[in-house]
Amino acid sequence: MTKGPALLLPVLYLALFFAYLFGPLAIMAITAFNSAGFPRVSPWECLTFGWFGKLAQDTRLLEGIGNSLIIGVGVVLIAVPIGLAAALTLSQVGPRLRASLYTVFIAPILVPGVVIGLSTLIFWDRLGAMIGADYDTLFYDGIFLTIAGQVTFIAAYSMLVFLSRISRFDPTLTEAALDMGATPTQAFVKVLLPFMAPAIASAAVLAFLASMENYNTTVFTVVAESTFTTVLASKVRYGLDPSISAVAVIIVAFTLIAATVFEMGKRRQTRAASGLLALDRPVLRLIAHPLFVAGLMAALVGGVVWTGANHDSSVCEMQVLDDKRAVQERLEQERRERIEALTPAPSAPSAPTQSAPGGAFAPGSLAPGGSAPSPAPSPAPAPAPSAPGGAFVPGALAPGGAFAPGGLAPSGSVDN
Amino acid sequence: MSGLRAFFAGFVDRNGLPVAIYLGLAVTIWVFLLVALPQLAMLDFSFRHNLPPSKMGGPEDVYTLEQYRYFFLGSEIGGGDWNALDIGVLFKTLLAAVAVTLIDLAICYPVAYLLAHSARGAAGRLMVLALIVPFWVNEILRAFAFRILFGATGVINEAGMAMGLWSAPIDFVGEDVALYAGLSYAYILLMIFPLYNAIESLDRNQIEAARDMGASRIQVHWKVVIPYAKPGIASGSTMVFMLTAGALAAPQILGGPSNLWFTQIVYQWFNDGGNWPRGSAYAIVLLAVCIGFVMLMMRVFRVSIGAIGR
Repeated sequence: MTKGPALLLPVLYLALFFAYLFGPLAIMAITAFNSAGFPRVSPWECLTFGWFGKLAQDTRLLEGIGNSLIIGVGVVLIAVPIGLAAALTLSQVGPRLRASLYTVFIAPILVPGVVIGLSTLIFWDRLGAMIGADYDTLFYDGIFLTIAGQVTFIAAYSMLVFLSRISRFDPTLTEAALDMGATPTQAFVKVLLPFMAPAIASAAVLAFLASMENYNTTVFTVVAESTFTTVLASKVRYGLDPSISAVAVIIVAFTLIAATVFEMGKRRQTRAASGLLALDRPVLRLIAHPLFVAGLMAALVGGVVWTGANHDSSVCEMQVLDDKRAVQERLEQERRERIEALTPAPSAPSAPTQSAPGGAFAPGSLAPGGSAPSPAPSPAPAPAPSAPGGAFVPGALAPGGAFAPGGLAPSGSVDN
Repeated sequence: MSGLRAFFAGFVDRNGLPVAIYLGLAVTIWVFLLVALPQLAMLDFSFRHNLPPSKMGGPEDVYTLEQYRYFFLGSEIGGGDWNALDIGVLFKTLLAAVAVTLIDLAICYPVAYLLAHSARGAAGRLMVLALIVPFWVNEILRAFAFRILFGATGVINEAGMAMGLWSAPIDFVGEDVALYAGLSYAYILLMIFPLYNAIESLDRNQIEAARDMGASRIQVHWKVVIPYAKPGIASGSTMVFMLTAGALAAPQILGGPSNLWFTQIVYQWFNDGGNWPRGSAYAIVLLAVCIGFVMLMMRVFRVSIGAIGR
């Protein structure tokens, strides 16, 4: 009887927790498909794939991604061997030296990335100045500096991966190799390295990802160049745009596919280990194969991309624009009626607007309509009924969003 | 000295010369060229005047405490008063980092416990995967997601207003709610895994025994699980604290207009202010204060630094 609520609470908590984890990403992903110029879910305008197209034409972003890839490969090539060396060294020294060495090796993870970034920048700058290097040499090169800065702490990540693997290494294997006449170098290459291979792979993946997504260090060391993250950051800081959400969608999709394939592979392995591989059911075996899953995912992505490329949202977008313009015109109309209601009398038709009193006619509130005001000197306008007090204060129009300057810009361009 | 030589002889003997050279070289390059010397260069630079390159190394290039004096006392024109703005930002940053650490600890402890002791096999693996997946999206995009969530026309405001909970959009960004939520989110993973590792190795029988002796659910956690997981808690908290205090992207994107994070001041001195020595001094201050604070906490809670990163 007590089992019910006791089980319910953890499940509820986990559900909430994962909602917190995935909710923001899901919402961001949805905004990538909304044609509204500002990333948001509501009001929903049109399903569009246009933001992805915009992304593909963003040369700055593409250049940044290119640099990030170069940096990532460089970081993997340097940080992984360093991490391996550090882990091996730690495994060979006595306990007291080990404790202090460990503190030194782990320190770069704890030092704020900002500090690592600018210390790297200063060090190579000083070194360059000391030997009188030119500004186009390595010492001032953003890509080299970024690799140096990132390796500083990513090597420590790799070291942690290697340490956990090495703790399961059986040293008698090396001893056996040595007894059989192998040199220490041979023992290292033929016994230890193969044992470490899986850890090397995961350390490399981890290092590459850590490099790709680093910002704090990179923003200092990258100097005049740009990377994926610095381009993204400047995009986010100087104007929100759903194409940023589109970047996230691509990353999340890649991640989910990789995770699914990885999980299928893992399951297959455990099944194979326990002899439960469905040998008698070849169809099931095929379906559960990681390669098959990967192919399926690739086909799915291809289908979505194809649909996206052929999806035409322009009709819907025109519709939304027309709606917006209609609303705009209705408000114009209401305002005009209101203006006329406020003007004292139709007896002085020569200057109706000049005599308009009060702050209700602040220039800002009239500006959008300025392009096409029909004179409409109708003599006895009904006092706009549903427009009390503050309806024409510019701010009051903002919440709907449709009337923010950005929302109007496209309609203006269509007009002309 | 002879002990050192014997050590190296043994090292070469055990690994063979090529491997020994590789190990020694890699570790030396890392520790000296990448970690120690840059930090020293920054320390050195923080004690200098801000000079144009042509005057560096000239007669004016002397050591000075000017940059630190500026941090504590402000510009000379202001007279001997404290530099309340910068010191205030530093304290606020530390306080916020502590708050984010505590929030993360509170959120993550139940998850880590459930993961370690209830989830088995495929379900457990799936949960770990589900934990990792959101963190492959980089820090900037995560902050951006919270910007969408908490903006004036964001989902939370729209939903709240649609349900009639509040009538005008709440400025979550200006009130720093978005910043705290985003920062807590950003470092969840760094808290969960140390906790998980620590709790997972706890023998389940200990919990059973405590329950048999009549301990309540809360007592089991307070007296058995938490003391056992202390190294994991220390490790996770240290990482979250240091990374939050050193965060740059999230405060830049999610911080309200009037709110500054200390790293942003460092960034400003470097990029907009063009004053590298002062930026270095500020970075040193940040580093020293953070390390000092972590050391103090470790002393208070009696954990050793060896626990970090496991």
